[in-house]
Amino acid sequence: MATLRLENLSKRFSKKIWGVRKIDLEVHDKEFIVLLGPSGCGKTTTLRMIAGLAEVTTGSVLIGDRDVTEAPPRKRDVSMVFQNYAVWPHMTVYDNIAFALRLKKADKKEIDKTVIEVAEMVKIPELLKRYPRQLSGGQQQRVALARALAVKPKIFLMDEPLSNLDAKLRVIMRTELKAIHQQTKATSVFVTHDQSEAMSMADRIVIMKDGEVVQIGTPDDVYFRSANVFVAGFIGTPPTNFFNMEVESKYGLKILKHPHFSLELDEQQGRILKNYDKRKLILGARPENIILTDKDKAIFSAKVLVTEPQGSHKIIAIKLDEQIVKIVAPHKQKAAPGELLHLSFQKESLHFFDHETNWRIEQNGA
Amino acid sequence: MFKLLYSREFRQKAVPYLLIAPVLIYYALFWLYPVIQCFAGSFRDVNNKLTLYNYAFIFKDPTFYKALFNTAFIVVFSVTLEFLAAFGLALIINIKFKGSGIFLFIAMIPMALPAVAVGAIWSSGFATYGWLNSFLYYLGFIEKTAKIPFLAGGNVASMILIIIIDAWQVVPFMMIILLAGMQGLDEEAKEAGYIFGGTKFTVLRKITIPLLKPTITTALILRIISAIQIWLIIVMIYGFQRLPVLLEELVYYVDESHSMEFFRIGIAYSVIISIFVSIAAVIYLKVTGAFGKEAEETA
Ligand SMILES: Nc1ncnc2c1ncn2[C@@H]1O[C@H](COP(=O)(O)OP(=O)(O)O)[C@@H](O)[C@H]1O
Ligand SMILES: [Mg+2]
Repeated sequence: MATLRLENLSKRFSKKIWGVRKIDLEVHDKEFIVLLGPSGCGKTTTLRMIAGLAEVTTGSVLIGDRDVTEAPPRKRDVSMVFQNYAVWPHMTVYDNIAFALRLKKADKKEIDKTVIEVAEMVKIPELLKRYPRQLSGGQQQRVALARALAVKPKIFLMDEPLSNLDAKLRVIMRTELKAIHQQTKATSVFVTHDQSEAMSMADRIVIMKDGEVVQIGTPDDVYFRSANVFVAGFIGTPPTNFFNMEVESKYGLKILKHPHFSLELDEQQGRILKNYDKRKLILGARPENIILTDKDKAIFSAKVLVTEPQGSHKIIAIKLDEQIVKIVAPHKQKAAPGELLHLSFQKESLHFFDHETNWRIEQNGA
Repeated sequence: MFKLLYSREFRQKAVPYLLIAPVLIYYALFWLYPVIQCFAGSFRDVNNKLTLYNYAFIFKDPTFYKALFNTAFIVVFSVTLEFLAAFGLALIINIKFKGSGIFLFIAMIPMALPAVAVGAIWSSGFATYGWLNSFLYYLGFIEKTAKIPFLAGGNVASMILIIIIDAWQVVPFMMIILLAGMQGLDEEAKEAGYIFGGTKFTVLRKITIPLLKPTITTALILRIISAIQIWLIIVMIYGFQRLPVLLEELVYYVDESHSMEFFRIGIAYSVIISIFVSIAAVIYLKVTGAFGKEAEETA
């Protein structure tokens, strides 16, 4: 097992097109890292540079303490699960899994043992004699997984391995993959554009946008301490609600003004915003941090647009002028379209972002 | 009766046949009929009497065996050589280096030339006072007095010359087929090969070539069939009956001899050639059929 380090890693496809730009990342031994970001943000490109399938423009890739920037894929001790499986159609499942071991000239018994072991790990021991075309997409994905596990790599790379599966299977595979990781403890880099997949699987998440890293942190970090408006909007379903606010001071307390409501902050929160007097900022409130309350305690009131029952809870969309605000309410909550709801914020859970830079306003003031 | 015609069952069964009827009629008229005519004609003499004379003539003629050997020689060597060259070129162009587009374009030019033009280019090229000798002299490879008599070689040398000329024209064609096959391959399948320990050579051998098998079979069979049919270049360079091959003999008897007796022999030749080409086609079907069988066995 090993660590993986990316230093100032960049990929330029042409004069104007950068795949990724200046990525610095240290993946610890046994860690499960998820690269998360919208499509086209450079996740695959990053993974391909780690694997050695794409040339690095500048920067370096280190596995363990070895600089592998110039090494071909086979000399990197990595294995990879491709988005479209990429299992070899002309080989049986067994031969697919055994391919790398045979090239390493492992002996027959050893190969047999490993193939059966990983096939059991991904629950396909009965499919070993089949050809890929005789398998479903989900089964092919398991073959790809077994093939990648069989080589016992230092680094385990996965490029959206679950995105071609149906929703239900995807959730099952998440759990299985996580269990497999706990068993093998292989240092892993997992790529996805699905934030809930990232949240549920990652030790740490690397959030990317336009080829650059925006935030690296645990699922809690990126959720509760989102680095900027993009992250706060990307992580969580429904995403964070944003409000443009104006900061005012009154008797030493900070008050945030919105055309429809004003929000008085306590002393400690006010301190974070000490440099923002008379300036604009963006207030972020997650759906579960906007709560239903009585009329006299309400910070603002608005009419229900639609409700989206989710079983365990209910998402209520309300309309504040042109803006739609989504809140999460208990499943029993009654909210007919057009009904006036009285709402308040859980103040301790609010996020503040700079209006110009969109970055989070930190404790010490930005 | 009408009830039957309008029944659903009848319609379901009859409609497919009705739909393919025009094609069947076309084949019967323009393919099956002439083939049968030709076959029947090969067993008749000038007076339309049944006879085996035409075949007997061919099988007694030593030129036939020479032609048979030459054809086989050309098929085996030209197809092998052309395949290897075309495969190599396709691999190179598939890398997509700078200028590979232009290279591809240039490589395709010979493909567009008709066989007559190819024959003309090379017969004037290989002539002792032809442009190839002039070119070699200009480059300083040979003396003015030491022109190479390219066309004066023996049987095998002549065939090698023909194989080279044919390859010059046909390699691009084969390369395009192989290149199309390569570009249709799943890039990730190859990349997986590199990830799981493959060198360029292993990936080529264990992944690219097996995945290309259907394309390779098609290219080979198309070439084998058309290699059996090489004749025009031979005639343009050597004239008739100097380097006999089956099709050249056929043309000779049908077209050049201007006698009814020889015309009948030519028809018998065409039957024989059809049989050879059919054998090649059957082998092709067997080989591709074997792929199908492999799939079934594992099911
Ligand atoms: N071979 C390539 N040539 C040019 N641009 C590319 C190439 N591959 C990817 N890109 C561009 O680089 C960016 C990142 O792509 P990619 O890493 O595939 O994104 P992701 O996997 O996050 O969806 C995209 O804008 C994409 O268009
Ligand atoms: Mg991608």
